[in-house]
Amino acid sequence: MTVVSLVSALSRDELEARLYEAEETLRAIREGEIDAVVIKGGATEQVFTLEGGGHSYRTFMEAMDIGAAAFDADGQLLYANQALCKLLDRPAGELSGQALLGVLDAVNQTTFRRLLTQALKERQSAEIHLRIGDTDRSFLLTGAPIDFGVVNGVAITFTDISEREQTAAARESERLARSVLASANEAVIVCDRAGIVTHINAAAERICAETPVGKQFEQAIELTFADAAELMTGADIVAMAAGGTPVQGLEAAVTTSSTDVTDVLISAAPLIVSGDRTQGCVVTLINLSQRKAAERRQALLMGELDHRVKNTLAMVLAISARTASHERTIEDFQKSFSGRIQALAATHTLLSNASWENLQIKDVLSVELAPYATLSSGRISMEGLDIPVDSKTAVSLGLVFHELTTNAVKYGALSTRSGKLSVRRIGLVEDGALLIEWEESGGPLVTPPTSSGFGQTLISRSLGSGSNGGTRLEFRPTGVLCQISIPKYGHFHT
Amino acid sequence: MSEASNHPAKLVLYVAGETPKSLAAIRNLEKICSEHLGGKYTVEVIDLKKQPQLAREHGIVAIPTLVKELPVPIRKIIGDLSDTQKVLVHLSVEE
Repeated sequence: MTVVSLVSALSRDELEARLYEAEETLRAIREGEIDAVVIKGGATEQVFTLEGGGHSYRTFMEAMDIGAAAFDADGQLLYANQALCKLLDRPAGELSGQALLGVLDAVNQTTFRRLLTQALKERQSAEIHLRIGDTDRSFLLTGAPIDFGVVNGVAITFTDISEREQTAAARESERLARSVLASANEAVIVCDRAGIVTHINAAAERICAETPVGKQFEQAIELTFADAAELMTGADIVAMAAGGTPVQGLEAAVTTSSTDVTDVLISAAPLIVSGDRTQGCVVTLINLSQRKAAERRQALLMGELDHRVKNTLAMVLAISARTASHERTIEDFQKSFSGRIQALAATHTLLSNASWENLQIKDVLSVELAPYATLSSGRISMEGLDIPVDSKTAVSLGLVFHELTTNAVKYGALSTRSGKLSVRRIGLVEDGALLIEWEESGGPLVTPPTSSGFGQTLISRSLGSGSNGGTRLEFRPTGVLCQISIPKYGHFHT
Repeated sequence: MSEASNHPAKLVLYVAGETPKSLAAIRNLEKICSEHLGGKYTVEVIDLKKQPQLAREHGIVAIPTLVKELPVPIRKIIGDLSDTQKVLVHLSVEE
C-alpha cells in the first residue's frame, strides 16, 4: 500500500489521530518520559529499554554481597537485590513499591525518606533499626546519586551493623558491671559453677588470701560459722547458690591478715547471665566486725553492770544495817545514811562519766571535798594523786574519803577556819601496795573516840586488811592521821 | 457520559518490565484512578517484556503508553503519566 492509498483509505479523523500520536511519541522521547521502545523485527516484536549502560546496574547490584536497592527521584523502589531480600528476610522479588518502607516504623521511615532526598544530591549515611523475626537489627545505610540513563535516582547499600552494636553494647555492659563490682562497699566475690573464684572487688581482696582469683572459694577465704562450725563450710554456701538456692544473712568469723575484719554477714545468690542457666554465684560479705565488737563490749558491760548493781545493793544493805546500829535517833540515822549513800552515788557518777575506766584518786577525793573546797581555799592540799585506780577501789576510796571528810567537818581540821588538810602520796610499799596519807592539822584538840563507830569500821575495812591493803587510823592530838594502803591490783601506778 | 454506562470503561497500560518509567507510569495511573476517576475504569497492565507480541494490537511503539480502549474512540497517552491534567483531559475527551 502506497502512502497515497494509505492516506485515502483513512478518514481525516484517523489521520489526525495518527499524526497526534506520532508527535506525542517524539515529544515523549525528547522529554525522557519513556524508557523503552518496541521494534518490529520480521514477524515478531522486540522490546528495547533505553536505560543505556544503566541497565547493567542490576547485574552489578546482584553480584554484590551486601544488600543494595535503587530508587528513582520520587523515592520509588526500582530494584532490590537478592542480598537485601535475604537481609530483611523477604522472598526475592517481594520488596517492590512501598514494601520496603512497610517494614520500617514511623521514626525509621522518616530517617529513610530524609536519606533518599539528601542522597539525590550527594553521598549520605544514616542508621535505621528494625525488627526482623525475633531479633532487633541495625543497618547502616549509605545512599549516593546514580544515573539510570533516562532518569536519576539513588542507590542505597544496607550494611548490617547489629553485631557490631551488640559487641559494643556487651563491652559497655561488661565495663558497667565491673564498675558496679569495684564501687560496691561490700566485699563481692564471684565464683563459677565449680566454686572457683573468677572476679573479686577491692573490698573482698582485703579479707581474702593472696591472689584469690582461680582458687576454690574455701581456699580464697577462711570462714568459720559460729552456729554450725562442723556442719557448714564456705564451699557449701557456694555450692548451694551455684545450684540455684540463694543463701541469706549467715554470720561467720573470718580468718584474715587484716585486723579490722573479724566477722562478716555472708549472702550468696545464683549468677544468671542469660537464660535460666546458672553460671555460678555471687557472694557478698558485709563487715560485721565493729558491730560484733560493740555487741561483745555491750555484753561485757551488761555483765559488769549486773555485778556492780548486786554489789552496790549488798553494800547499801550493809551500810543501812551498820549505820542503824550505831545511830541513836532516826534523824542521826537519816543524816549518816544519806551522806554515805551520796558518797557512793558521787563515786558512781564519776565512774560512769569515765566509762568505768581511768578514774584517778584525785577525782574521787575531789568530789568528796568539793562542798568544802571553796570555803577551805588554800587549806586543803593534794599531792601526787594523779594515779588511776580500778572501779572497785574507786568505790571503796569514795566511802573512806567520805567518812574522813565527814569526821573532819564535824570534829576535825575542817570544823574550824584554821585547820588544814593534806592528802598526799607516800609511795610504794611492800608487795606493790600504794600508800597515801590523810593528815589533818591546826584543828581543835583531838581526843580518840571512846567507842568505835561505823565510820571507823568502814574506814578500816573498806580496802581490806593485811599486808596488801587497808587503813591505819590515828587520832593524834594535833589532828587525825590516816594511812591508806591500796592493794597492788587496785591501782595502776607506774 | 451515556456510553460509559453501556460499555465498561477500560484502560490498558503497556509497560516494559520494571524500567523506571514503567514503574512511574503504574504508580501515577494508580494515583490518578484513586484520586480522580473513582473506579470508573478497569485497568489492565501489559508487560511487553514478557509478551512483546501484544504491542501489535494497539500499535505500541514507545513504552510506557496508556491506551483508552473503551469508550471509543481509542486514545493513546504516551509517557510516564506524570502530567495528571493532561491525562485527565485525554480521558475526558468524550465526556
